[in-house]
Amino acid sequence: MDDSALTMPSLTPAPEALARLGSEVELGKIDSELNKLWDQDEGKTRASLLNFAIYSEDASSIEPNVDRLDRIIALNACRALLIIRVPGETPRARAWINALCHPYQGRQAVCSEQISFVLEDGDATQLQNIVFAHLDADLPLVVWWQGPLSQNFEERFFSRIDTLIIDSSTWSDPVSEFDELATALATVTADFDVRDLNWTRSHFMRVALASCFQDELAQRKLPKLTDVEITHGSGQRSAALLLAGWIGKRLGAVLEDGERDLTFHRKDGLPISMVLNEGPEGHALQGLALRGEELCVEITRGADSEFVRVSACCGEHSHEELMPADVDADADLVADQLSRAGGTTLYADMIPIMRQLLTR
Amino acid sequence: MTCTTETRGYDDSPSRLVMSRDLYRLFPSSPMENPFQETLLHRNRAEPCSLVIFGATGDLTHRKLIPALYNVAASGDLPPQFKVVGFARRDKPDAVFRSELEAANKKHSRQGHSDELWSSFGQSIHYHRSEFQDTEGYKSLKAKLDQFDEERGTTANRLFYLASAPEFFDQIMEQLGAAGLNEPAPGKWARVVCEKPFGKDLKSAHHLNEVVNSTFEEKDTYRIDHYLGKETAQNMMVLRFANSLFEPNWNSRYIDHVQITCAENLGMEGGRGGYYDTAGALRDMVQNHLFQLLSLVAMEPPTDLSADSVRDEKVKVIRALRPLVGPEAVGKNVIRAQYTAGSVNGVARVGYREEDRVNPESNTECYVALRLFVDTWRWQGVPFYIRVGKQLPKKATEISVHFKKPPQVPFSTAGLAHNGENTLVIRIQPDEGMSLRILCKKPGQALNMQPVKMDFHYSSSFGKASPEAYERLLLDAMAGDATLFARRDEVENAWKFIDELEHAWHENPNPPPMCEYPAGSWGPKEADQLLQEDGREWRLL
Repeated sequence: MDDSALTMPSLTPAPEALARLGSEVELGKIDSELNKLWDQDEGKTRASLLNFAIYSEDASSIEPNVDRLDRIIALNACRALLIIRVPGETPRARAWINALCHPYQGRQAVCSEQISFVLEDGDATQLQNIVFAHLDADLPLVVWWQGPLSQNFEERFFSRIDTLIIDSSTWSDPVSEFDELATALATVTADFDVRDLNWTRSHFMRVALASCFQDELAQRKLPKLTDVEITHGSGQRSAALLLAGWIGKRLGAVLEDGERDLTFHRKDGLPISMVLNEGPEGHALQGLALRGEELCVEITRGADSEFVRVSACCGEHSHEELMPADVDADADLVADQLSRAGGTTLYADMIPIMRQLLTR
Repeated sequence: MTCTTETRGYDDSPSRLVMSRDLYRLFPSSPMENPFQETLLHRNRAEPCSLVIFGATGDLTHRKLIPALYNVAASGDLPPQFKVVGFARRDKPDAVFRSELEAANKKHSRQGHSDELWSSFGQSIHYHRSEFQDTEGYKSLKAKLDQFDEERGTTANRLFYLASAPEFFDQIMEQLGAAGLNEPAPGKWARVVCEKPFGKDLKSAHHLNEVVNSTFEEKDTYRIDHYLGKETAQNMMVLRFANSLFEPNWNSRYIDHVQITCAENLGMEGGRGGYYDTAGALRDMVQNHLFQLLSLVAMEPPTDLSADSVRDEKVKVIRALRPLVGPEAVGKNVIRAQYTAGSVNGVARVGYREEDRVNPESNTECYVALRLFVDTWRWQGVPFYIRVGKQLPKKATEISVHFKKPPQVPFSTAGLAHNGENTLVIRIQPDEGMSLRILCKKPGQALNMQPVKMDFHYSSSFGKASPEAYERLLLDAMAGDATLFARRDEVENAWKFIDELEHAWHENPNPPPMCEYPAGSWGPKEADQLLQEDGREWRLL
């Protein structure tokens, strides 16, 4: 998670930040100015697989988002829209265009278009107009909504989205935000996938855990699991909660209503105790341990390592593996998500569990 | 030119899920019982196994197999407690073998080399010295594999990879059977992966199949053709059957002809002449790689994506190839040639017969062009032109589908560029991707048409590099998905067709001539004439 998470949004964009957005253009001339941009250099190839929009209500997010777009576009050619909404006395919109280019096979430049908007006092109508007027037609629309799901996140907007990227770890009031998200997902017209970076951060842990139970010896011991311990980075409890909820769900265990602790109960009534430990700052998830009779699994990620060390034991047998960990930076996580096939039914299933876990 | 391509998750398609579930039904003891596996349903998961590579000190192991396994590990897809055992004749300790492979991996790994990952992955590699015919060597191999199982606390699956020369296949199969290594433990599997060449004619292929299938069942036999592991080859079915734009037009009513080209700009470098001169372009490339591509282009839609459904449709194409029997039919439809001295990219090249380890009186073709017909309802009258050759101007493998011209009554043909038909090109390598040539009106007062090209490049649109073919194929073999492997009847039917051509060339008093072309050209003029007599020409790559 970036440092900007959970801090108060800035209200006014800095001039040096605006200077990084490229050439300022009149709103009505965006298309013609983009054409001029391409005419300047025939050696560039424009490529686009999707429409990718970032929406933020934090004026200070311009520069980090420009950097993020650069990294995301290097792996995912797209029409990029950066929309910054700031307070203002009267509604006003400014626009900039830019070409983000990357070398291709050492000789040619492959470029994506970036159109940036600063909306002063922009409301839902203005947001929709800005987004929908500047899409690359017929390509999917992916929106990375940074921060809380504000009033601008309304049905006529999200019903046109194919994929919504959020980061629930940045929400200051996650209970109401998850409710908002669940309501949106339940809307008849909504047909979007949700990619929660907070959930994505546990991907490598889930893969590593699954790898420990691929042989039947380990599978046979699984019913004897009694304790789960998750170590998370400072301020990253929600990532650990999501992982805990997933483990409980996969084992068919449920949280008892009215209890305050994190003890899940299997169908046979046996408890699985889950403990969350806060570790130092750094990776969102730093360790996972499962213990039971003749069963132990330890998955740990070192502070500077790109890998996780997996050690597992079943009775007298034990083994160790090294497996890849996921990337850390938000931009790399998003780039990974965009290039990874597969839907998120599993995440949608996690929302009610998360809602339950957040109250403990 | 703008490149816009809509992306949809192929791996997540319903049919893909069906296939995965089928696999779980086939192997009920495996991932279905792992409650944490659900998130990974959309892809094949390799099952815990030991991999034994026969011919482990060879080039293939160093350049392809170990780097592929390392990259599978780097992607987190290698099964836990995985073991690789290199089986070869030279004497060397594990540490030396590992260190040789580490050096090779540093050179050839797609995702680079991490010392941290190698320190773990390298520990899974072991060496086993034995002659291929030594019964004791197989007994000790079995003991070694049993010992790994003991350490795991469970019996593992076993995958045997024949990376040795094909003349050793008999011995290896016989000894694997004698040692009982072909017999899996209850609920487990034992599989064999065979590298090409799978025979040199129908008789030898049939013999090899008999040998392999007397030791392993056909469902456990994986004949590798790395062309099928390439992203664009896999994309052929998606392109054809998931895009309503193409499939309705994919027949003799709309398609004029198809060209499949495999051009290489190298000759017999690195001592390759010794093998190549005994094989030739027809056996080395056409029987396997190019017939596989032809099958993907011409096959009917499979009923599902299971391995046998796909391969059933592919083999029907090979069976439907109009036979070319006798020197007259072969001479009329097949051109063979050798290169003479010339230059490629400004570098002088000697002629084929002057190459290292090539017989100076060699009668082996290093270029072949064929005109084939697939006698099915869909393809009646549509020629498939195939060409493959060494020392051509550039390295490129592609399929081009040439659509018929529409009636151009309303348009003036004046000003229409030469070869103005719609052409869909599927580039297999390098620069995997597709392009579509369409006609548009030239700007201006006059009505003139000009072909323009819409171009899609995998690497510029999808920033992530595609996995190497061997990564995908090794994973599939470990997961029990044989879709991208050749089945026995595919191989034997292909040889049956190829044998007729070889007989016409080599067992006939009046064989069709061996033509010539200068190195660095696009082949012999006779190959050009093959198309010219049909009013067509080879696509300029």
